[in-house]
Amino acid sequence: MSADSTAIRVRDVSHQFGEPGDAQFVQALQNTSLDIVRGELMCLIGPSGCGKSTLLNMIGGLLTPTTGAVAVHDKPVRGPLPHDIAFVFQENALFPWCTIIENIKLGMVFQGVPKSEQEPRARKALEAVGLKGFMSHYPAQLSGGMRQRAALARALSLETGTLLMDEPFGALDEQTRMVLGEDLSVLLSRTEKTIVFVTHSLGEAVFLADRVAVFSARPGRIKEIIAIDEPHPRKPAFVTTEKFAKLRNSLYELLHEEIRKTVDQSAAMGAAP
Amino acid sequence: MSGAALKRTLLRHPGLARPAVVAGMFLAWEIAARWWIDPAFLSPPSKVVASLGELFATKGVPAALRITLWELGVAFAISVVIGLVVGLSVGLSRFANRTGMPIILLLYGIPQITILPLFILYFGIGPPSKIAFGVTHGMFPIIVTIVAGVQNIKPILMTAAHSMGASRWQIFRWVIFPHMIPSFFAGMRLGMTGVLLGVLLAELYVSTAGIGYYTQLFTQSFNPTMLLALVSVLAGMAIVLNEIVRRAEIHFGRWRS
Repeated sequence: MSADSTAIRVRDVSHQFGEPGDAQFVQALQNTSLDIVRGELMCLIGPSGCGKSTLLNMIGGLLTPTTGAVAVHDKPVRGPLPHDIAFVFQENALFPWCTIIENIKLGMVFQGVPKSEQEPRARKALEAVGLKGFMSHYPAQLSGGMRQRAALARALSLETGTLLMDEPFGALDEQTRMVLGEDLSVLLSRTEKTIVFVTHSLGEAVFLADRVAVFSARPGRIKEIIAIDEPHPRKPAFVTTEKFAKLRNSLYELLHEEIRKTVDQSAAMGAAP
Repeated sequence: MSGAALKRTLLRHPGLARPAVVAGMFLAWEIAARWWIDPAFLSPPSKVVASLGELFATKGVPAALRITLWELGVAFAISVVIGLVVGLSVGLSRFANRTGMPIILLLYGIPQITILPLFILYFGIGPPSKIAFGVTHGMFPIIVTIVAGVQNIKPILMTAAHSMGASRWQIFRWVIFPHMIPSFFAGMRLGMTGVLLGVLLAELYVSTAGIGYYTQLFTQSFNPTMLLALVSVLAGMAIVLNEIVRRAEIHFGRWRS
């Protein structure tokens, strides 16, 4: 792996919430390093509370690591880098008082895009996610799946090299998730973006990712990285192949033990006086 | 239409029953005033409506209404400005919130009518005391609703704006401000109610030229017709002012539905 093919470099980061000794003290992430290659889709998967969202927020500059450092395209990350990194969040993060197209334009206002470019870019992004007919709707008038499409359009319109997605389909039902996953795979195969995608779903990870980083239970570390060697865009039929099943099973084995540990940890915490 | 059908129609459309109730109340008032109650104390609504012309022709009354309306307008404008400035600073700063909010809630809880004589003492018996009393009634509900409106923003929206590179001013202009608009208008509606209460209370307490003077005059001269006509005009004014603010509130909060 040559140096300039690395888009995101995570070096030895740890993150703590609170001070050691506090009741609320949590060691979310411990001495984690990760290199993400330009143009790849890296999935982060792990038990709840292992620090995968924490890592994503540190890459995006929304959280500062307690120790260690993150660099995106060799720029050290010390705060949000709106020209390099766009987010899609799990929760609905659209502004409810703006219509869909106003939401997308507002992102560009924040990023500093000239006014004349906002409208065409917003329309292009909405077309890409299949929401062209809904640009004058308010978020409350759309379904959860459509809202996440709109959030994706907002992130795409910012034309950043990197896209960070924090369980973007986490709040959706299984079938909507599947369709959105398929559309996302097609959409992203046309871009050169580097994507980091946090998920709980094994199937989603195998279906979308070039590589999957499996986290251990808290304090989180990367336990193993699995490569998914399958060209993009992935066909819906990929899900039914034996290769898919094998990859999914190996992820399951890696994760199962960690999820057990997490459950036992929280049971022990609950039992403590 | 049969009785059962009428009942069904009314149950399905409560809007139709409402004017019926109002009409019934006016009818009861008319009957009571005509045949039971001493005309020195109560006039029938028909006579009250008929005397509106006479009321406006009474020397001094149009001017008194103008003064009261002016007091209401000035008191409301001052309340909105104070409410916005204090509400935003207390809502947006943790420190100001911790220090100021308990004091504001305490002051809001005081029945201000007990200190009305002080207002007369400090501001005189002219319009300034009415305006001041209106402001102290109007500003608190505006402050409290703005503080609440600023504070219940979903944190994810601030995070999203921050991640897209929004400056502090942009976050205020495009996130906090639009989020606050509906509660601002709700606050203005409550503030308007407060201002009406404050100004009219002060007017009735002591007055040389405003409507308080004429209500006293009509009461003491046992002229309930003119008194009720004047009160109706005041009530009409209050309804119109409240309705304007309520319409604005609906208009600016339409994304919430």
